[in-house]
Amino acid sequence: MTKIVIWPGLAVVLIILAVLPFFLPNYRTAFLLITFMYVTLASSWNIIAGYTGYVSFGHAAFFGLGAYTAALLITRLGTHWLLASLVGGVVAALVAVPLGYILLRLRGPYFAISMLGLAAAFEVVANSWVSLTRGGAGLNLPPALNLVQVYFAMGIAMVVVIGLSYRIITSRYGLRLFAIRDDEQAAEVLGINTTLHKVSAFTISAFFPGVVGGFYAWNLAYIDPTSVFRPILSIGMVIMTMFGGIGTVAGPVIGGVLLTVVAEGLWARLPEFHRAAYGVLIVIVVLFMPGGIMTLVRTRGWVPRSWRV
Amino acid sequence: MATIARSMLLVLSLTLALGLTACATRTGAPPSEGTQAQPQEPLRIGASISLTGRYDRTGKEMQNGYELWAEQVNATGGITGRQVQFVIYDDTSDPETSRNLYEKLITEDRVDLVMGPYSSPVTLPASTVAEKYGYPMIASGASASDLYTRGYSNIFGVYTAAQLYLDGAIDIAVRNGYRTVAIVNENSAFAKDTVAGAKRKAEQAGLQVIFEEEYPNTVRDLAPVLTKIRPLNPDVLLGGTYGEDSTLLIRQMKDLNWTPRIVAFTVGPALPDFYQTLGEDAEWVMGATQWEPGLRGEGVAEFAAAYKTKYGYDSGYHAAGGYAAGQLLKQAIERAGSVDNGKIREALATMDANTIYGAYKVDATGSQVGKPSYMIQWLRGERKIVWPDAAAETAAVVPLPEWGRR
Amino acid sequence: MDYQTLLQLAVGGLLLGAVYALAAAGLNLIFGVMRVVNFAHGDLMILGAYTAFWLYDRGGVNPLLSLTISIPLLFVVGWILQRFLVYRVVGQPPLMSLILLWGVSLVIINAGLFFWTSNVRSVPYFSGGIDLAGIQISRSRGIAFVTALVLSIGVWLFLQRSRWGKAIRATAQSAEMALVCGINVNRVRLLTFGLAAAMAGAAGNLLITILALSPGVGPSFLLKAFAIIVIGGLGSFSGAFIGALVVGLLESFSAFFINAQAADAVIYFALILFLLVRPGGILGQRE
Repeated sequence: MTKIVIWPGLAVVLIILAVLPFFLPNYRTAFLLITFMYVTLASSWNIIAGYTGYVSFGHAAFFGLGAYTAALLITRLGTHWLLASLVGGVVAALVAVPLGYILLRLRGPYFAISMLGLAAAFEVVANSWVSLTRGGAGLNLPPALNLVQVYFAMGIAMVVVIGLSYRIITSRYGLRLFAIRDDEQAAEVLGINTTLHKVSAFTISAFFPGVVGGFYAWNLAYIDPTSVFRPILSIGMVIMTMFGGIGTVAGPVIGGVLLTVVAEGLWARLPEFHRAAYGVLIVIVVLFMPGGIMTLVRTRGWVPRSWRV
Repeated sequence: MATIARSMLLVLSLTLALGLTACATRTGAPPSEGTQAQPQEPLRIGASISLTGRYDRTGKEMQNGYELWAEQVNATGGITGRQVQFVIYDDTSDPETSRNLYEKLITEDRVDLVMGPYSSPVTLPASTVAEKYGYPMIASGASASDLYTRGYSNIFGVYTAAQLYLDGAIDIAVRNGYRTVAIVNENSAFAKDTVAGAKRKAEQAGLQVIFEEEYPNTVRDLAPVLTKIRPLNPDVLLGGTYGEDSTLLIRQMKDLNWTPRIVAFTVGPALPDFYQTLGEDAEWVMGATQWEPGLRGEGVAEFAAAYKTKYGYDSGYHAAGGYAAGQLLKQAIERAGSVDNGKIREALATMDANTIYGAYKVDATGSQVGKPSYMIQWLRGERKIVWPDAAAETAAVVPLPEWGRR
Repeated sequence: MDYQTLLQLAVGGLLLGAVYALAAAGLNLIFGVMRVVNFAHGDLMILGAYTAFWLYDRGGVNPLLSLTISIPLLFVVGWILQRFLVYRVVGQPPLMSLILLWGVSLVIINAGLFFWTSNVRSVPYFSGGIDLAGIQISRSRGIAFVTALVLSIGVWLFLQRSRWGKAIRATAQSAEMALVCGINVNRVRLLTFGLAAAMAGAAGNLLITILALSPGVGPSFLLKAFAIIVIGGLGSFSGAFIGALVVGLLESFSAFFINAQAADAVIYFALILFLLVRPGGILGQRE
């Protein structure tokens, strides 16, 4: 019954979003595009952090990896940006496999810090491997003249990852991830192959940031180590998901949209203020609403608890 | 039923929120080409400047140059009868921020014209935005070769190409019979260009480059690099640096009790407060510069005096660059006879002009070829031009005395 | 590659290491007593550093003198953090405290950026170097080394001899038992956080006389401090010093043999290696 109502509702939203860029000035379209990007990042992060319980503080590592891969393919081989970005995502995913195998052995805080260090280490590599990446000089890409294309690319990535999140949360695979999150030892005892599940979740969570990193590089036409491995990306993913509701499908979306909108009003005039506000928000969320907005929504009954959203 | 209604409401309100936010500004015509401006309407020039962050010293200098220029131009009736008005945002020395700001300036604030930001890393993405919308951008604060190798037609340089910055130091070294050179540089585009050019010139001149190393722009400690250089005992130390790292280098050289015979850096030593920051340790340091108040040229003395009166200290080349860029814009508009971006671009690409910076002429890619680069040295607490001979105020003093004997 | 340069590097690294050790010991204290990883530790160091800078900038104050301000100031900051924020997450899943302190870190970093901009600052009060048999010891490093050592010994004595020090160590061993023994565990925790913050602040105060710092570099020092305590041995006070030795040397040598930025990456790899292979660290204690 509810399905009859929800799907058309979502379809309406999608249609509006698809049509908007033709009516908006570029600046606004760029804003929406960045929102999509953050929602995608947050949703990806949610899969390893919210579903599986391994909170990563340095997911920007995969974003940057994808950005550099795509940028290199575009500038050295003349690859089309869409393909280059997809390859970027694949590379990020491939790198995530062995990395995940090693790092996911570390528990909670150790894993978080190790991911933080990973992003920093990737930045060092990007800076030092000058023959490949031109180091601090960065890479110049041909300018992306059609913003609408990038808008759609980001939008589609976002829809895909949200759809995937929903698919996971309503599947047995997702249940097993939750089991790992809730009590990994018990999950092992129950016969769940925790390594396989953790690494696969980690890989999925690395793929989308890689792809989106490629889109980003194309859009910006210039990347350097500092801009694609920046901590604010990792931080953004965490706070958006937590604020919206970690471990839910809608959480990253709500958090991503709300926080990007708020940041938009603030960043130009008060850049430090909006980042400090993120910090304050993190503190408030952790102390008073660790489940984010979705918990609020659930406890108030605005959304039936049976919905896996 | 109620829950369904509520959930519909949720979906709808979320959509509305998104849509409203996105449509919050009036949609409509693409940025104006400035052809319908009334004579009384101000001519709005947009720019992002590094008012905070790594490049804030130089950014503020540039802003000073812009402001002084605007003030003087407006006092004499503005350009084509319109008063000049700058719309400036702080890009915090960050390339991505600058890029977003230029998008904002062009598409939301609807400025008529744009000017470049400071530094090559920031100007690179900023100029991409300008290129996208067809707004000519005078790169008033950048000189890396990357700017001109992308095939853009909307970028025009004021500074001489980065590769030539350190030529003077090499020439002086050769004249004094020195043989060995050590090079350090920050790993960004501009700095790399300066040392690439320096290395080429050094080798051509028969000098030997015995050490080369890069460091990231986040560096906090250069002692290890200096420790590597010290035992090699080079005659000359060249640095592709900005402000902070050149200061750090001098300080840590003193800590290590080591100095070569010639020390020449880019950007840092040309800053008016280099001596203030380092005190006597700055003495005898050479710096690459694009302009000095002591140059003999059209309008130089007047500008230097006006700057000193307004701001209380002698201008450096960054402020003068901002001013010169303003002069170029005015001349281009007058030559083009309009404020249409396309016509201004034509003018900038083809004109020969004169500013306090000297002769202006760009090649097909937009790179500045009309004027040379200069070398200064801090002598008795003052910056003096020591190279090239034609412009020199005094001869260079080499070698630098040891730390203990000062 | 002459041995004199090697020695020069080693000395430079060790001198700096002592300052890191002071900060790392503080991190260790918090971890030992509250099982919390203070994610804002690097930023507390920066606060101490900027206190010294502010005093130097305004009044040319000797950074050693600034310690008399930065130490109590950071003690209060630490105390406040524990009293109002951290106490709520002690005992909860470690991730909660991690994220909480990360938020605090963000606030501190951006407040710092707001007040002082992202410009890099230093307090070059002690400049020049002393020549010791061909090895140049920069005065700032030498003085920082001695001061850090003195302060560390002071803290060690406090922990060993004084009543509160023993209370802290008891609580670190077992909070329940300490409670049973009549120790005011809450007070101990407040004291611990305050003390650790003060140590971080002192370290930062000294650090800014040697290196150039900006508000955003806190996290990289956190990583170093964390690497130090993991390598040296979680929960062991002297472990912080062993770890600092290793990290200081690693830093110096990798900056020399690879490049300036590689040091951070090398330390990171060492951290991961130890976490995987020998999580107890060199002086391996629990887990």
